[in-house]
Amino acid sequence: MLKPLSKDRWNLEMAAHLLNRAGFGGSPAEIQKLADFGPDLAVSSLIDYERISDLTLNPEWAQPNTARMLQIRDMNQTGTPDQKKAFQQEQAQLQQRQMLELRGWWLQRMAHGPRPFQEKMTLFWHGHFATSVDKVRDAYYMWRQNELFRRLATGNWQQLLTEAGKDPAMLIWLDQAQSQKAHPNENYARENMELFSLGEGHYTEKDVTEAARAFTGWSLDRLDQRFIYRPFFHDNDDKTFLGRTGNLDGDDVIAQIIAQPQAAKFITAKIWNYFAGQPPTDEVNEALAAIFRGNGNNFKPFLRVLFRSEEFYGTDIVRNQVKSPVQWLIGTVRMLESDLPPPLASWGMLRQLGQDLFAPPNVKGWDGGITWITTNTLLTRYNDAESLVQGTLPPLTADDFAKKPGGAGGVKAVKVLQRLRMGGVDLDKILTPEERGSKASLAASLQHRLLQTTLDGEQEKALGDFLNSKEQLNDADILTAIRLVMSTPEYQVT
Amino acid sequence: MRKIKFMKNEITLQTRREFLRTTVLGSALSWTVPAFLADTLTALHTEAADSATQIVTGKDATILIVLQMAGGNDGINTVVPYSNDYYHQARPRIGLTADKIIKINDEIGLHGAMTGFKNLYDSGNLAVVQGVGYPNPNRSHFRSTEIWQTASDSDRIEKYGWLGRYFDNACAGADPTVGVTIGSQLPEAFFAKTPQGVCFTNPQNYRFVSDAHPRPGQTDMTEESYKKLNELDALENSSPAPDGGPGMATEENNSGGSISSLAAGMPMTGGRAVDFITRTALDAQMSSDEVRNIAARVQNQAVYPVSPLGNSLKLVAKLIGGGLPTRVYYVSQGGYDTHTNQLGTQQRLLGDLGDSMKAFVDDLKAQGNMQRVLVMTFSEFGRRVSDNANGGTDHGAAAPMFIVGSKVKAGLLGKYPSLAPQDLFQGDIKYNVDFRNVYASVLENWLKTKSAPILGRQFEPMQLV
Repeated sequence: MLKPLSKDRWNLEMAAHLLNRAGFGGSPAEIQKLADFGPDLAVSSLIDYERISDLTLNPEWAQPNTARMLQIRDMNQTGTPDQKKAFQQEQAQLQQRQMLELRGWWLQRMAHGPRPFQEKMTLFWHGHFATSVDKVRDAYYMWRQNELFRRLATGNWQQLLTEAGKDPAMLIWLDQAQSQKAHPNENYARENMELFSLGEGHYTEKDVTEAARAFTGWSLDRLDQRFIYRPFFHDNDDKTFLGRTGNLDGDDVIAQIIAQPQAAKFITAKIWNYFAGQPPTDEVNEALAAIFRGNGNNFKPFLRVLFRSEEFYGTDIVRNQVKSPVQWLIGTVRMLESDLPPPLASWGMLRQLGQDLFAPPNVKGWDGGITWITTNTLLTRYNDAESLVQGTLPPLTADDFAKKPGGAGGVKAVKVLQRLRMGGVDLDKILTPEERGSKASLAASLQHRLLQTTLDGEQEKALGDFLNSKEQLNDADILTAIRLVMSTPEYQVT
Repeated sequence: MRKIKFMKNEITLQTRREFLRTTVLGSALSWTVPAFLADTLTALHTEAADSATQIVTGKDATILIVLQMAGGNDGINTVVPYSNDYYHQARPRIGLTADKIIKINDEIGLHGAMTGFKNLYDSGNLAVVQGVGYPNPNRSHFRSTEIWQTASDSDRIEKYGWLGRYFDNACAGADPTVGVTIGSQLPEAFFAKTPQGVCFTNPQNYRFVSDAHPRPGQTDMTEESYKKLNELDALENSSPAPDGGPGMATEENNSGGSISSLAAGMPMTGGRAVDFITRTALDAQMSSDEVRNIAARVQNQAVYPVSPLGNSLKLVAKLIGGGLPTRVYYVSQGGYDTHTNQLGTQQRLLGDLGDSMKAFVDDLKAQGNMQRVLVMTFSEFGRRVSDNANGGTDHGAAAPMFIVGSKVKAGLLGKYPSLAPQDLFQGDIKYNVDFRNVYASVLENWLKTKSAPILGRQFEPMQLV
C-alpha cells in the first residue's frame, strides 16, 4: 500500500500528471524539467516550497483599519438616513474594488507565482472552509483568511482548524461571533463537525448542541478586526462532548475532535480526492490516515507519500479528473505561456463556469468532479477558450456580473469590460519554426502542449482535416486550431 | 448520405419509436450514444416496453415545475399560526402578530409579504400542504437537501435523484430537454442513469460560437471541426421539423445511415470522466438551437420582479410557450438560511417568491397553458420553533409545501403540527405528511406514471390534484 512509484516508470507523462495535480500544469519545458529531476526531486521541488522565496506584495489595504470601523460605527449611530445611504454606497463600491483586486492578486499567484503547490493547497482550504464574501462583506477579512490558508497550507491540522475557527471571516460566516450562552448559535459547531473535521454520522445531535455551548465566547472585536474571547458570552456549565465532560471551551472541542481517529480519515480522504480526482479506497484511506497521525497530524509528510505513491499514478487516476474552472483557466494560461485576462474578465469567466472565488455557493464548497460539467458550462468553456486564445472579450453580459439580474453594477462592469484588453496567445513564444513547418508537426505539437497526450484517431483526423482545409496556415488559423483542441471533452480533463 | 431528421415539437414516443424501428434496429450501443437514442434502441429490443408506451411529450402533456427554496425556509413564519400562544411564547423576537400577516382563517395566515400567494389562494390556484417532513429528520443542509432530492429514507444514500428516476423509468426515448434546469448546475434531483436533462442560464449564450464567417454555401470549417472533435457530426440536421409541423417520419428521411455509424463508432468504455463530457456535449448540441429559437421568439405576457427567481420563471414561461417538450423544469431561490436577522431577509425573499409566482401564473394563463402546469415548492427543512438571540432561527424539521396550479385541490391541506412544547421533538415540530406522499401524488396524478418504481416503494398519493 502506497509504495513509491518505481523510478523507471517516471517519464514525461507522469511528470505532467504531477505538475497538473500538485500545481496548475505548465509548458512542455517545465514538464521536461520535472521529468529530468526524477520523482523524488520533482515532488520535493513542488511541495518543499519554503525554500523558494515569494516576494508577492500584499494589497495595500490588507491590514486592520480601526479608523474605518469607527467611522462605520459612528455613521450607524448618528448618521441621517441620507448620510447612511451615501456612506453605504461608498463602502460597497470600495469593497467591490478591493475584492476585484484580491481575486486578481490570488489568480496571479496561481498562474505566475513561484509556489504553485502552496497556492493549490490554499485553493483546497478555501474550498474546504468555504467562506463567502457575500456574507462576510469585507475584503480585508477575506484576504486575511486566504493568507491563513497559505501560511498553514501544509502545517498542523489542529492549529489550522483552531485558527480557521477563530479567524474573523469564519466568525462572521457561521455566526459564531454573536453566539452566546442564553441562545447558543449552532451553525459553526454543526458545520465544523459535518464539513470541516468529522463528516456526517460521526457525532450526535447532542454533540452539536454541546459543542455550540462550548464555543460560546469565541467572538469578534469589530473595531480591532480580530478574534476576541468574551468571558461573559461563555457558558461555564458542564458539557459532554464526544465522551469528554467538563466546562469545555472551543479549544477543548477542537482537541477532542482531532483526537478522534475519524478526524484523520476524514481530512486525508478529502485531500486525496482533491488531488487524485476520486475518493480513496478504504485501504488507501486507512494507510493515508495512519501516516498522517503517525506524523503528528502534520500535512507535509503525508502529502509527500501521496505524491510519490504508485496509486496516485494509476491508470484510473491519470487524465481522469475534470478540471475545476480555476484549474482550467490557470492551466490554460500556463500551458499557452500567456497572460491572465484582466481581473474583471477572469472573475466573470470563473463565475459563469461555476467557481466564483471568495464566493462559494455554500459552506459545503464546490462539489467538483463531473458536477463542473453541465450543458451550460461546457459550451461556456468552449466559447471562453476563443477569448483566451484570440484575445477577444469573453461573452459576458451584465447579469454575469451583477448580484441581482438587472442590477446597476452589472451594466457598469460590462462597460468597464469593453475597455479592457485581453492578452491572447503569442505564437512565436510557443511554436518553433520547425513545429510550424508542417501541418503534421503542428498538430503533434499542439496536442503535446495542451493535452500531454494525443487525441483519438477520429479526432486527430478532424484536426488534420481542419488544418488541411487551409492552403497556407496563417496565425489566425493556428489560433483557431488551438481553440478547437481546447473545445474537446479531452481538454476538460487532466 | 441522407440525413436524419429528428422530430421534437409535437411528436410522441410512439411515432419516434416507429421511425427508429425501421432504421437502426440492431446497432451496437454504448452509453455515450445520445441518451434518448440509446434508450429508444434499448426499448425497441424489449417487447414488454411497448405496453408501457405513453405519450412522453406533446402539446397536451402535463408539466411539473419544482421550485427549491434553498437554505431551509422558516415555515412557521411563512404559514403563520398567528393566534397560537405557544408560537408567540417561543418567538419573542420575530413572532408575527395578526397585523403583520395575511389571514387565511382565525388561526393561520400567510407571511405579510406574500400578497401574490394570497391572490393565488383566493382564485383557487394554491394548495398549502402543512407539516411536511420525513422520519428521523436530518438538520444538515446538505444531507437533508439530498434526502429531498433523492427521496430516500434518512438513513439511506441514493445515487440517483427522484426526478432522474422518473426520467429513467418513464421517459425512455425522450430527448435531452425532457428535464430543464435554469441555472448552471444540475440539481441532484436530476441525477439519472440516462438522460439527466440540460441546464442553462442565458439562452443567447447557449451555443458554440464559431470565429469563421463563411459565405453562403461555404462550409464553416471551425464549426464542422468542432462537431467532429466532439463526435457530434452524426447529429447534423437534427433541428426540429419546420414550423412545428407534425414531423412524421417518412420513407425519405428514414435511411439513418449516420446514426448507425455513430453508434458503431463509439468506443465502449466504462465511466471515465471524458465519456461523461462527451455525452454532455451531445446533449448541449441537441438542445441549443431549439432553446435559443424559443427564447428569441416567444414574448412574456406578464411583468416579473427583477430577481434571479423572477428571471428563471420568466424563461420557463417562454420555453413552455414555445413548446419545448419538457416535462420537468427546476428553478431555485436561495438565501433562506436565516440564523440572524430573519425578519428583513424573509420579507424580501417571500415577497419575491409570491410576486414571481403570481407573474408566472398570469403569463401562463395568457398563453393558455396554465391547465398543463403544476408548481411544487420545497425547502430542505423548516426551522426551530424558538427563535435565537440573534433574531434568527436555527435548523429545524417539518415545514409547509406550496402547490400551485389550476387543477389543485386548493386550500389548506393536512394539519398544522402542534407547537405545544410537549409535542415537539428536540425543539422542532413533527411532520404530519411525508414528502414522498406528495411526490407520489405528483408522479401518479399529475405526471401519470407509477410512483413505486421511482420512490422505491408505494407511498399513498396525497389528494392534491
